[in-house]
Order: sequence, then structure tokens, then C-alpha cells
Amino acid sequence: MVNPKAYVNKEICLSCGGCVSVCPQNAIQLKNMIAFVNASKCNSCKICVNTCPVAAISLKEV
Amino acid sequence: MKYDVVVVGGGPAGSVTARFAAEAGAKVLIVDRRPEIGIPVLCGEGISQRIDGWGMLEGTDWIASKMDGAKIFSPDDTLVTLSKEMAGNETGYVVYRDRFDKELARQAGKAGAKLLLRTEAVGLKKKGGKITGVEVRQDNDSFFIDADIVVAADGVESQIGKWAGIKTTLKPNDLETCFQYTLSNVDYESDYCEFYLGEKRAPGGYIWSFPKGNGMFNVGIGILASLSTPGLPKKLIDQFIQKHPTYKNGTPIRVLSGAVPVAKPIETVADNLLLVGDSARHSDPITGGGLTTSLEGGKIAGEIIGQAVEKQQFNIEILQPYETGWKKTFGQKLLRNYLVKEIMLDFDDKTLNMLADSLKNYKFEEFSTLSLVKALVLKHPTLLMKLKPLMKLSEKKGK
Repeated sequence: MVNPKAYVNKEICLSCGGCVSVCPQNAIQLKNMIAFVNASKCNSCKICVNTCPVAAISLKEV
Repeated sequence: MKYDVVVVGGGPAGSVTARFAAEAGAKVLIVDRRPEIGIPVLCGEGISQRIDGWGMLEGTDWIASKMDGAKIFSPDDTLVTLSKEMAGNETGYVVYRDRFDKELARQAGKAGAKLLLRTEAVGLKKKGGKITGVEVRQDNDSFFIDADIVVAADGVESQIGKWAGIKTTLKPNDLETCFQYTLSNVDYESDYCEFYLGEKRAPGGYIWSFPKGNGMFNVGIGILASLSTPGLPKKLIDQFIQKHPTYKNGTPIRVLSGAVPVAKPIETVADNLLLVGDSARHSDPITGGGLTTSLEGGKIAGEIIGQAVEKQQFNIEILQPYETGWKKTFGQKLLRNYLVKEIMLDFDDKTLNMLADSLKNYKFEEFSTLSLVKALVLKHPTLLMKLKPLMKLSEKKGK
């Protein structure tokens, strides 16, 4: 069983960069103005999920 | 390609840094990953009119309107008005940030800086541990840009500081997560910005309204990320607008999400490297405002870079005057406001209502700390305990 990882819904993300700035693993970057999660770095802490102002991030099994 | 300075990010801090470095004789390149400077706008667009004296922007097309003061609504809607006559109060502009940023970039170019759009920094170039430039990606190409100094002006999501080993990761209690509508067709005229407080309205933050003129308003919300839940900023600002007698009839013409550092000052220099603007966490921890500090910090950075280029020395000791300079200019205020922010987070709605009730008829024109404390405490003596940490802070500052 693998921990669920942060996943960004590209349709919802407005590219504010908040998740990038708070990720303790530096697992998120903006690519082409959309947040992109490097799942191998994600430690499933959910900080980005709670930070997102538009609920574009959720944890998903990968 | 070899430059004295490569600035990553063509926002206000990056452009102003580039401009003053170029004016001091440095060969400067700005790279920006976006196809257009100033777009997307990620900002409430309020700025102090203090910038009038700085001569950084020409023309007026970047000004949307002028603000004469602030109206603060407590959780129970007790109104405290801060007019422009209030001692220490500053009047402000609401700006078109896209035009504002373009004007600053134009000024940088006029001073001799080059600008590359759609060019994204993907890493630092290092030689024997020393920073010697940046690696960038442009369309399908990757290449290196050599520079003696790299300036991180890459915003709240800054990567460059991290690549250089500076800890820039924000704790959730040091970030405001934001959402804003620009509403048009609002049947309401105002020269005041408005702030709405309350733990139900905006936990650890506030709702703002900035009048842009012609029935346009920026109506937004910031919530402390540590107190937020997924999508809460959007949910709460939607509720606020739907309940508001005039905003509810406005036509939204723009939405944006945002992230604003409300953090303690961090290290901003290393060998061959400077951090400016949001990437340096140069925003006010109480208001979230970061435009004036970005401009002031950028100017200092540009001037220090000019000196370094003249000396052909780029180590941390040579660049340190930048950090000393911004700390002297606005760093102490940022630190003090960080401590005030921490204290105010403990104020519940009842306390904020008592504060507003004490202040609603207070004549800010005759402002003095003593008269303010008297006004607060005479009406609601229990406020004394709540305000004690703040008074301690101001005593400490006085010493």
C-alpha cells in the first residue's frame, strides 16, 4: 500500500504558487503556469491541500 | 552569453533591481518565464502614494484611482474610519498591476537592461560550488546564461534561494492564501479601501475592497494557510459578496488566486546571489502589502550590485550592504509587524469588537499613543490585558 500523494487538478489551478511556497519537501513546482507535484518527493503531509485557495489539490493513490 | 547580472523574474522587484543596476553601469539581463510582463495579475493592487516621491514610474496610465483612507469593519460591523488626516496614515493608489509592471520593465530597459520573455530558469550554474549563472529553458532549448550575480526575483514560489541553500520554505502560519474578484458595474462610489475582520469571515486574515473607479472594485480575501481548509478563501469570499448589498450585483470580470508571505525577514544574500521582493519575503506581515518594499528593496539591491560590479567582487561581504540597507529602511518595521501579527492572532472576535467600539469615535487627527490607550481602555477596561503584549512591544521599540 503506497501513501496517497498530492495531485493537482489542472482545470482548477490558478497558478498562485502558494502550494510551492509551503511544501516542506519542495515537491511542487509551477510548470507552464500549473502546479506540478513530483510524487516521489511528496510525503503526503497535506499542507498544500489545505493551503490551496480553490481546492485544486487532493491526495490520490498513485 | 555573459552578463554582470541576471535577474530571474520581471515583476516589480526584479525590474527595479535591474534598472538601478543598469543605471550604475552593470550589464543586466532579466529573464521571465511568462509571455507577457504583468500578466497574470496576482495582487490586490493597492499601493501607498509615497511612491510619488521615488520617481520610478512615469505617466499615470497605471493608476486606476486614488484612495483617501480606510474603513475597517469589525466582526459585528462596527466601523472605524481612518481618514487621510489621521497622523501617520497614508493615502494610496489602486493600480493596474499589469500596466504598473510593464512601466517598471520599460524603465529597466530604458536604463539598458535586456529582457527575455518565455525564458524559465531551471537551475543555477555552479563552478566549484560557486554560482556562475543560471540554466534556462526557452521553448525546446536549454542553455546557460553566465553572470557574476544572480538575482532571485521569482516570487512567493521562489526556487532560486532554495537552489542556493537558503531556507525560503514558508510555514503555513506565515502565508496568506488568497482569492479575489474584480467586480464591475458596482453601483457604489467610494474613495476608501475597506477591510472586514472576523474569525468567521476570514480566519487569520481579512476581506478587502479596493475601489478602482467606474464602478470597479477588487474584492478579495486572505486567510492564514494554517487556519484554512481546501478552497476556503473562494468559499468565504463568495459568501461575503452574495450577502453584500452592492457587491452582489456586480459583474465579475477577473478572478485570481494568490499567496502572500507574512513571514519574518530571512537571509537575502549569499556569494553571487541576492533575493528581492516576494522571494525575499519583503511583504508586510499585517497588511500583506509588498509593492513599496519590493521597490525600495529593489533600488537598494540595484545600487549595491552596481558597486560590486565596479569592484569586480561578488562575495557575500560585498553584497551584505543590500541586506543591511533594506533592514534599515523597512526590515525593522516588517519584524515588528510580524510580532504584532502573532499577537493579534490571539484576538478573538469579542476583542476586535471592543477595540472597534472604543475607536469608532476616536479622533485620529489628535493621535498620540497615550490618548489612544486611554480611549481604548476607558470604554473597555478588559482590553488592557489583551493589549499588554502590544504595549510591551512598543516600549521595547522605544528603548
